[in-house]
Amino acid sequence: MAEIKVQNLTKKFGDFTAVDNVSITIADKEFVVLLGPSGCGKTTLLRAIAGLGMADSGVITIGGRDVTYLPPRERNLSMVFQSYAIFPHMKVFDNIAFGLKMHGADQKEIDKRVNEAAELLHIENLLDRFPSNMSGGQRQRVAVARGIAMKSEVLLMDEPLSNLDALLRLEMRAELKRLLAGIDATTIYVTHDQIEALSMGDRIAVMQSGVIQQCAHPTTVYDLPDNHFVGSFIGNPPMNFFHAQVEKHDGKILAKVGDYHITPHQVMAPLLQKYEGENMMMGIRAENMETLDSPADDALKVQVLVVEPLGSQNLLTVRIGDDTVKVSTHPDLKVASNDYVWLRFPADKIRWIDRESQRVIYPS
Amino acid sequence: MPNKRNWVPYLLISPTLIYVLLFFAYPMVRGLLLAIYDDEANLALMQEANLEADLADVIPQSASIEVLGRQGNLVPEEELGENNLLTEIWFRIEAPDVSGGTAEGWASESRIRVREEAEDGTPLMGTVRRRLGSNADPLTSVFAEPNENSEVVGQLEARTEAQIVESITLEVWFLVRGENDGRPVEGWSPSRYIQIFEDEITGRVDRGNAGEFTTKYIEKMMNDRFFWPAIRSTALLLLIIIPTQFVLAVVMALVIQAQLKFNSFILYIFAIPLGVSELAVGILWFAIFTQNGLLNSFLQTVGFIDTPSAWLTADSRNWILVAIWLAEVWRATSIVMVIVVSGLQAISSEVLEAAELFGANLWQRLRYVILPLLRPSLQVALILRTILAFQVFAVVIALSGGDVVTVLANETYRQYFDLRNSNVAAAYAVLILIISMFTAVIYLRAIRTQEEAAAT
Amino acid sequence: MSNENLPQVAPEVLAVHQKMIRRQKRQRGFVYALAIAICLWITVPIFFIFSMAFTTQETVRAYPKGFLPFIPFSTETMRFFLNSEGIIPGLINSILVAIITLVLSTLIAAPAGYAISRYIFPGRNFFRLSILAVRAFPIVVLSIPLAVMFIQLGFFDNIYSLSLMHTALTLPTTVLVLSSVFASVPYELEEAAQVFGCTPTQAFRQVVFPLVLPGIAASAIFTFVMSWNEVFAASILTIQNRTLPAQVLSSLSNSSEAYQFAGGFFMLIPSLIFMFFIRKYLFNMWGQVSK
Repeated sequence: MAEIKVQNLTKKFGDFTAVDNVSITIADKEFVVLLGPSGCGKTTLLRAIAGLGMADSGVITIGGRDVTYLPPRERNLSMVFQSYAIFPHMKVFDNIAFGLKMHGADQKEIDKRVNEAAELLHIENLLDRFPSNMSGGQRQRVAVARGIAMKSEVLLMDEPLSNLDALLRLEMRAELKRLLAGIDATTIYVTHDQIEALSMGDRIAVMQSGVIQQCAHPTTVYDLPDNHFVGSFIGNPPMNFFHAQVEKHDGKILAKVGDYHITPHQVMAPLLQKYEGENMMMGIRAENMETLDSPADDALKVQVLVVEPLGSQNLLTVRIGDDTVKVSTHPDLKVASNDYVWLRFPADKIRWIDRESQRVIYPS
Repeated sequence: MPNKRNWVPYLLISPTLIYVLLFFAYPMVRGLLLAIYDDEANLALMQEANLEADLADVIPQSASIEVLGRQGNLVPEEELGENNLLTEIWFRIEAPDVSGGTAEGWASESRIRVREEAEDGTPLMGTVRRRLGSNADPLTSVFAEPNENSEVVGQLEARTEAQIVESITLEVWFLVRGENDGRPVEGWSPSRYIQIFEDEITGRVDRGNAGEFTTKYIEKMMNDRFFWPAIRSTALLLLIIIPTQFVLAVVMALVIQAQLKFNSFILYIFAIPLGVSELAVGILWFAIFTQNGLLNSFLQTVGFIDTPSAWLTADSRNWILVAIWLAEVWRATSIVMVIVVSGLQAISSEVLEAAELFGANLWQRLRYVILPLLRPSLQVALILRTILAFQVFAVVIALSGGDVVTVLANETYRQYFDLRNSNVAAAYAVLILIISMFTAVIYLRAIRTQEEAAAT
Repeated sequence: MSNENLPQVAPEVLAVHQKMIRRQKRQRGFVYALAIAICLWITVPIFFIFSMAFTTQETVRAYPKGFLPFIPFSTETMRFFLNSEGIIPGLINSILVAIITLVLSTLIAAPAGYAISRYIFPGRNFFRLSILAVRAFPIVVLSIPLAVMFIQLGFFDNIYSLSLMHTALTLPTTVLVLSSVFASVPYELEEAAQVFGCTPTQAFRQVVFPLVLPGIAASAIFTFVMSWNEVFAASILTIQNRTLPAQVLSSLSNSSEAYQFAGGFFMLIPSLIFMFFIRKYLFNMWGQVSK
């Protein structure tokens, strides 16, 4: 059992608050990805869990044991570092065996575990070599092998793929996913790459400014962002946002964009009552809008600014009011810049955002 | 970095290259030769009395000789000033011959008395000297060349007036006979290499002009009474100085890496000895250890001693060694510290964190990660320090006067400067060079063996 | 945010934490103590000789000297030293030799340093290694044959031959240091300058030169100090025109302690001043040797 529980953790560097009163619980054997832009505090949080930088306040427990102020070696965890942190003066075997040796495992056990780990990562043939003349991909594998050879209940990974080139990263991502599914460790994985996060994690914790903005299953984070930041950070292109005036016509709540009206989903309507007469932000993903090349009653006429053919789809940039919106269309729809198209907004795909709190409003 | 295969880099490095060749490679060869090659060992004897003649034989320096003959020979004007060079002057003259004609040719100054000189001293006219002695030839020969062995072109009577056309200065050559290794040798030699005794028929070879490899300088060095003491003290100092330096240097480096407050100031203090001259350090520690110096003052004030102890006298050799040890540790630890800090800075913090995370405590981190990663730096520092330790010199002079405790560099200086024996000094220098290189090679091999052992 | 809702760290962990903090503080204190001890080890002898150099000759002779030997403060000892025979000419010689050495050494080494840091050419490694090898060369070994050579050339007992010797001594270090100084300026900067219209020479003058100037200055200062300190070659190569250390060394055995102490401190002054300015460059300079 290695449930990780972080409660009200705060870590400051001088005046800068890197992690601000964060709480998160990671279940035993769960794979959680900490995702966020650089400087959001994700690495600081990971290091606090590892014990490489002590928290200023708050509590960290692993498997029910309070480890808040224990040194890393007493936390029974292992880690894969961003720049691999392979010991350059040791052979691959000794690198992988290092943690086991330090914990006093006997030689037989060490041999067995090192060979297992090396086999899993297909680096059996490298065991006798020094890391100095190995490629980045090979070092990466050694670092991962060292991380899993310990068979710790907790495995921490700090942007393990960020130093690889794009192609290798793609390959390694799939392999890591397969590998981590096979070992029974609670894993925390830090990355700034949302594709990695979406494709690998059981849950994604999106961080910004030292705060976890949302922590949920990848599809939830994608479809139902908790706030404006999460929507704008996740997805490529990110979620579109544009402004609309909430008005009541004939007793019905409508959102007005220019002279076009959007009717909110029936479950949303009551929640929008209180915004009557106010400006709201609406969010919708590029692939969720329906694009028509001819006028329709329930569609908004917009002018196309840019057309970007992406192969499987075309990405149109259009203007709605003062906001720029990206729309993905089927490649068969022939449009050029300055053409007009008509957009239809499915009510269940629209997210309504309180402009003051930046939060997305959901029916409870 | 541009991969330009052109002449620019070679042009840029050529001044350095030339300088290094001129001031390292050449002196190196020269120093070696000074130590093992005596370029005045032998005197070359010629078959005829001129430098272009074939070599007849050689005769060792300071061998006794017998003079068989003499003859003048042309000598370049700039060589006339050389030591011991005997000269004679010959005149080209025109004078009425005994046979009634005019004799034109050469006669030695010993046969012509100059009667008239130009204002600048050039002889213009002279008379033939009268020969003394009963059985002397009354006539004076005139030769075709300025050489008594050449053809006689005329005979002059004594007191004949002779027109002096030209005068030249010749170096006297001697035909000598002597022994080389018990074997009789004979040949011509210029006067400058030879010393003739008063009897004018015996003499000795004063100096040689043909070199020979010799071990005599090395023997002289090894038989010097200071040689073995110098070797012993040098080795002893090496053994006690270097380990202390390394321990202290690693401690200093760790202090610098701990990034205390005022770190920059601490670094400044630590670096001061790096720029202090050896001599100043010697004096510094002399001031502490001298009889009315700091140490005695302190001990007496505190009450440990009643009268000042003499630390730096011939009777307290060990204390002199201690003083030299402290002075050298004081002076040369900084450089090791700087190298170690550079090495520490090159270790990535992630590697240290990884070691910590995988369970290594402070000692294990030092033992398994930090020191192994520092090894290249430590090796370089070790080689550098060892080689520099052979050059310790002014500290020793300042603290021991150079007699009670002496080291190899000091003996080199003594041989060159006090005893004016540059060959033996060069022998010492070559010895220092060989020991330095030998040490470096041993280190490198030891390191390689370690690596090979680690590789298996 | 109310404190009651905040989770509490387990008491035993808190105790561990406090113990750890105490230990860290103890360790920190220990490191400070070490730093102070080493600083004292270095500065106490300097302070002592400083106080001896600036007091009366009577105090220098006095015994025991007590804990604060700098009383009374007086320039008498130092004046006595500076007025001794050969000291002022020696000082002038030392400065001249050091300046000629640093100029020669920098002029010869800078192009080589630039070549090593900027070009890859066949023989580059060999050149670098040779420089490294001669850097560690014993000056004692060079001095004797060079002295003999200079005597034979009749080029002897003057500041120029000694400067040539000192340049040989400092050149390898200067080459290595300058190459690391040049390497610290990315070549891209030069390329950028050329793209924006500079000739290679202009690019060097306007972009590289200002950036490397402090490094070159530090290296020059170090060269100056090395030459100023050098005593073996100076003693071997000069008779009448001695440098300061050679002069002090030759009169060491028959001079008073006042003379010796003042001389010792006087020779120490450049290090006290210059090390302050170049301390940050030390690691750049010497980091080179371990690569």
